[in-house]
Amino acid sequence: MIVPAAFAGVAWGILGGALPGISPSITMALLVPFTYGLDPSVAIVLLASTYVGAEYGGSIPAILIRTPGTNAAAATVVDGYAMHQQGRAGEALGISLYSGFVGGLFGLVVLVLLTERLSTVALAFTPASYFALGMLGLSVIASLGGESLIKGLMAGVLGLMIATIGTDPVTGLNRFTFDTADLLSGIPPILVMVGLFAVSELFMQSGETGWEQTAQRSVRIRFPSRAIWRRIALPQAIGSVIGTFEGIMPGGGGAISSVLAYNEARRWSRHKEEFGKGSPEGVAAPEAANNTVACTALIPMLSLGIPSSNSSAVLLGGFLIHGLTPGPLLFVQHPEVVRGLYAGLFAANVAMVVIGYVIMTPCLWLVSRPKPYLMAFVYALVVSGVYSIEGSLFHVGLVLAFGVLGYVMRVSKMPFLPTVLGVVLGFMIESNYRRALVLSSGSHMTFIEDRISAALLGLAMLFIIGSLLRHLRDAGARRGEGAIA
Amino acid sequence: MNPDLALGGATLALAAGYYLLAAAIPTSLLADDVGPAGLPAIYALLLAALSVLLMVRSIRRGPAGASDRAVESEIGRRSRIARVAGLLGIGVAYVVVVPSLGYLLSIAVLIGGTTYYQGGVFNRYVVGVAVSGAVFLWLMFVVLLGIAQPPGWWPVPF
Repeated sequence: MIVPAAFAGVAWGILGGALPGISPSITMALLVPFTYGLDPSVAIVLLASTYVGAEYGGSIPAILIRTPGTNAAAATVVDGYAMHQQGRAGEALGISLYSGFVGGLFGLVVLVLLTERLSTVALAFTPASYFALGMLGLSVIASLGGESLIKGLMAGVLGLMIATIGTDPVTGLNRFTFDTADLLSGIPPILVMVGLFAVSELFMQSGETGWEQTAQRSVRIRFPSRAIWRRIALPQAIGSVIGTFEGIMPGGGGAISSVLAYNEARRWSRHKEEFGKGSPEGVAAPEAANNTVACTALIPMLSLGIPSSNSSAVLLGGFLIHGLTPGPLLFVQHPEVVRGLYAGLFAANVAMVVIGYVIMTPCLWLVSRPKPYLMAFVYALVVSGVYSIEGSLFHVGLVLAFGVLGYVMRVSKMPFLPTVLGVVLGFMIESNYRRALVLSSGSHMTFIEDRISAALLGLAMLFIIGSLLRHLRDAGARRGEGAIA
Repeated sequence: MNPDLALGGATLALAAGYYLLAAAIPTSLLADDVGPAGLPAIYALLLAALSVLLMVRSIRRGPAGASDRAVESEIGRRSRIARVAGLLGIGVAYVVVVPSLGYLLSIAVLIGGTTYYQGGVFNRYVVGVAVSGAVFLWLMFVVLLGIAQPPGWWPVPF
């Protein structure tokens, strides 16, 4: 069942990624409720394959209609659309597909080599270490604030507050439940994610009324010639390496890695003058990078239980729904799930090439549908899927409420990922913090005396200081530009 | 009003309310030194401090420090909020009626209603899409995946 799940996930991911405004995380979040009745291994492969497919799917509208389907495809627009204007759209799509395949396989090898080693270290974790790990995950917030560090921190604290709703982890008392039985077990993180990502997007698009359609003529994918293969080998390698580091780094992701890969590919290219005018290297590098990220972003999530991106956070939600807890114990208690995931990702990368070739016509049809139909279908999918999780209309109401919160956050330019991190990590941080203090009879020195805890807290401090310095430098540069303007 | 000032005020009020609720959490004999209210109180104080910082920053920046986005007319802002409220209302209406009407009818109404709301047109095509979309989702969730959806008052489980 894993191979069919990989194919199905890739197909869904490509369709979702091809729709501008529907990010990989939204595509995955919409699919999570469908996985509820499936075997956990199959469900996880289905979700992870969706991520793989979506990263390629985003390049289709980027190349054809100059609109990236996903943030990670933004760098592909530059040369991809230029190739389309020169009548080379099929070649651009072929390069995108092939480079995504290469990047995905590279990322999978890194995932297999690094994940279990990292999780072995985590087996030595104590409650103090887990608390420090959670703090390291939260320290990412310092780099996620965008233009406003304050707003990023506020978003993170909001997430931590949401995580306190439910039953207290130590005493079992009810907190912030308002005598509602539906809140006793807290708010499942997936509800927060679907609300913040998918429903808020619907609200953002509610102002765009009308029946505009984008007419598309048929396009056939052409795989690269031998000469092009040789030429795009270096940009693929650059994209894969950058995608590896950005995928592992919390806060990194496809968007950042694809832009970095594009820049570096141009720097090392022998045909710099072609960039921006239809260079095959300008398509190969970002596409290799964002598909590498689809695998390497799973490394911190699988080995430590810390999601490094929106999409890996949704995948974490999928794990939790199926009673699986990512982290070191996953490799001990459910090795079949991990092995199944590796096999599934390999199948997904192969499936991406096959399905990417045959799905072009349905993709073009879907991309050109009038927006009212697409919005209505996504809305229906959200309410149906959320109800499917626990058969609760209260949850549907919660998702709508989080959609409103997400809309307010977007209008206020507050980032989402800090909130998601707070929701996902809040319980782990609080429960382990209090357990560590109980074990140490109330002494906070336990967080320093535990070597792993001390090292992780030190890393978190370095991360925060580095992000703060970068933020201050960027703010100074923006003030300077404003003064000149 | 400065958007960041309004945001800071709203989150400050949220922090105050959250703090009061945290303070009302009963103590337990099983509680550790931190207790169930410990970290929530800290989160509330953190959010309050950040809210005040945001408000102070927005006041210091003054008109030049307002959001970088283009200034939106009041009419445009109200229109945008009304659009969101309308779409939210469709979702709330679904939650209210689905226990009575059942899933198939309610989801068809949601699809048709959203399409009409966004497209401004209600014709046989919209009805066709609403009905076929509802049947498709019902087949997928209830029949294929075996996931029960609200049956409503209908004798036959829709």
